[in-house]
Amino acid sequence: MIELLARHSPGLPEWLTLCVVLYSIGLYGLLTRRNAIAMLMAVEIMLNAAALNFVVFDRFSTNQQADGQVMALFVIVMAAAEIVVGMAIVVALYRMRGTVDINQMNSMRG
Amino acid sequence: MISSAVYTVMFYGLSAAVILLAVLAVNLRQLLRAALALMGMLSLSAGLYVLLHAEFLAGVQVLVYIGGIVVLIVFAIMLTRSSELLEDHPRPLAQVLGALLSMFFLFVAALALRDTRFPVQVQTGPPVDDVRQIGLLLLDRGATGYLVPFELLSLLLLVAIIGGTVIARKVAPPKQPFTTGGDARGETITESARTQRDIVPGEGAP
Repeated sequence: MIELLARHSPGLPEWLTLCVVLYSIGLYGLLTRRNAIAMLMAVEIMLNAAALNFVVFDRFSTNQQADGQVMALFVIVMAAAEIVVGMAIVVALYRMRGTVDINQMNSMRG
Repeated sequence: MISSAVYTVMFYGLSAAVILLAVLAVNLRQLLRAALALMGMLSLSAGLYVLLHAEFLAGVQVLVYIGGIVVLIVFAIMLTRSSELLEDHPRPLAQVLGALLSMFFLFVAALALRDTRFPVQVQTGPPVDDVRQIGLLLLDRGATGYLVPFELLSLLLLVAIIGGTVIARKVAPPKQPFTTGGDARGETITESARTQRDIVPGEGAP
């Protein structure tokens, strides 16, 4: 049993499959959600999958430097900045319109 | 051998849990529960980082994502009363289209993954000192360093702080009848007009 498990130790394709599945789930959420906050949550899932992808390639490359981890760090910081501005916009829209349903946000006038 | 078996078990267990929680996070109708699922998914991703020997990133993930982003999302859900006002029932058409599109993306990406040979695929040991390596890379001014993106990122964070504050701060209430919309003469509004305005907002004068 242990031998079997050790022989099927996950390599690069398995990790990349995990990342792409996570990204697709985030894409599905982004396309189907109506609530603006829920859409931002789906975007967070997609960004997390992208950061994971960078770390996977960092681990499986011959380069001993940690470039992929630095990139993942950048992705995380940008996700934080994006969510701050996104949430501010959502709260401002709610104050102006009384709803966060994106189907009702179809005009640029306040 | 044992460690390799443990690695396999951990990978598949964590992957299954992460995918399940991600599906819950995009499908749950009640947004607070979805935020909780998102939090679980992000913390298990930190576990995946540990599995990849990126312990520093796992710590950053917990601090920034769970301590910052999820808390912000929960605050926004409560501030906009999303859990009461909009239970988030997607239209069936949007649901079918979204499922089709994301399945199509998954299919194409899986095909590309199957047909691609990655020449750099060598199972190496972890770098000796990850945190030291990351710090040196971030402050390296050379061609392979990341000093300029690092500084730009701090500028981005500053802009995000200022932008978020400006957008989300309280704005002046919309124009009321019986005032001139906030210019100098409208400030000196008489007491009778003020009470009149409070009694019948939005009626009477244009």
